[in-house]
Amino acid sequence: MDRSFVVIKEIGDCGIIYANGYLNGLGAERLEEECEQLLREGIKKIVVNFKKTELINSIGISVLIGIIEKVRSAGGHLGFCNLEKVHAETFEMLGFTKYVPIFPSEEEALISMEKRPPYRGRASRKEGSDG
Amino acid sequence: MDRDDLSKKRLLFNLAALIDLGEEITSDKDFKGVIKSSLYLIMGTLSASRGAILEYEGGRLQFLASKGLEGEERAIDLLPEELTFLRSHNQPFLFESSSLFLEGRQKWEALLPVLVAPMIVKKEFIGLITIGKRFTGEAYTQEDMDILSVMAKHIGTGIYNHNLLLSLSQKVEENRRLYTELQLVYYDTIQALAAAIDAKDDYTKGHSRRVARYCVALAEELGLSREEIEAIRIAGFLHDVGKIAIDRSIINKPSKPTKEERMELNQHPLISYEILSKVRFPWKEIPLSVRYHHERVDGKGYPDRLTGDKIPLLAKIMAVADAFDAMTTDRPYRKRLSIDEVFREFEREMGKQFDPRVAEVLLRRLKKELAGEVKERRLLMDEGMEEGPSLRRLYLRRIN
Ligand SMILES: [Fe+2]
Repeated sequence: MDRSFVVIKEIGDCGIIYANGYLNGLGAERLEEECEQLLREGIKKIVVNFKKTELINSIGISVLIGIIEKVRSAGGHLGFCNLEKVHAETFEMLGFTKYVPIFPSEEEALISMEKRPPYRGRASRKEGSDG
Repeated sequence: MDRDDLSKKRLLFNLAALIDLGEEITSDKDFKGVIKSSLYLIMGTLSASRGAILEYEGGRLQFLASKGLEGEERAIDLLPEELTFLRSHNQPFLFESSSLFLEGRQKWEALLPVLVAPMIVKKEFIGLITIGKRFTGEAYTQEDMDILSVMAKHIGTGIYNHNLLLSLSQKVEENRRLYTELQLVYYDTIQALAAAIDAKDDYTKGHSRRVARYCVALAEELGLSREEIEAIRIAGFLHDVGKIAIDRSIINKPSKPTKEERMELNQHPLISYEILSKVRFPWKEIPLSVRYHHERVDGKGYPDRLTGDKIPLLAKIMAVADAFDAMTTDRPYRKRLSIDEVFREFEREMGKQFDPRVAEVLLRRLKKELAGEVKERRLLMDEGMEEGPSLRRLYLRRIN
């Protein structure tokens, strides 16, 4: 049974992906597909909102790693927001936080994407994909 | 989070992945989907950005699933010496350190493997799992290799089983045996994790294993169904998983806990429930029976102060099994009880702490085992079977 449902919104030059439901099955792949689609459309700033995420297991993690890699190699910028504590801790444990900035709210993520010079994580420098 | 928190978190994360994988492989979902999910589970667990599962057939490796490849999936022809090499490795190894691939490594380019795990079932080479670099660039650890090893065994057995089912000429009997083996792998995994939980607690080594064993013995005596017995076995193994979130110094304190510490300790059934309710078990009763394993039939237990009629039977069984283990093992601040004291304690607490029917079944079984009237001792374990105290040695000596 698939209980993930992805919603996409575009604000300015930024795409927001809502990772709703359960990121614990192959259904979570839609996240990655939507992200690819946004990148293809030339939208290089992507925020993933976890406000309505119920559960993330290793399958979900592998999909999120896929997203990080795709945005990285497209030279884009990625941010996560509205993470529950348990998920934030998982991301910290896995080292995500060193590569993706985490914002308490969508507004803050958008402000950062818009105003600040684009995020330059260690990863994107290492891959040389950040310009 | 400090390092201890991180390692607990990591343990729980791996635990959930292993349980998910066990369920995935034994599910009746379509084969392609199962293999793909399995690959994603491994990659998520190891934080890998590239990986593949390949099946060996007619001299070449065919793709069953892949993610994050550099280029497209193209079958890989194996040289005879490569095949010999892979056949003789039933543990994951580092691709770089295997000189074998120095020639003709071009064919591995799309995979860019860092770790390679051959899948071998019944001495038959089933295929390979390849894992690319970690997305953070950090090196893989021995723990990662261990997890990959268990997961590769699961998946290899799953593929082998699937292929057997495909060839209709195979005997039904063989399939049934393999299914049983697959279940054993699943239990092995859960047992390994239970041991990891117990390892956090210096004074109760082997506690989860023993409680699982006692639970099964009681459930059998009570005539529960096979399904319920499987459920309580798993629940027994994992009932104290919540202790992982409690400060080690409290758990291992060599004296009676203070009121505050007691309150924190009493959180563990709730934490266990929180953790286990997020895992998709084939048995739905597991999380709740774990939550209620410290309830008392007189309503004075925790965390929900349920009374007898509200407590599920599996939780009542677990309460008796848990208490029996507590009574029969030494604790830092008191010695284990004598067998007479155990009897007295259960008799006194019938209808108070314990469900009378379950407590009675325990005492009945205990009497039978003491009198040597059973084929296999479950409560008074045979020597050398388990780590931890051998109750048989401790108590039977008294009788004989
Ligand atoms: Fe407990």
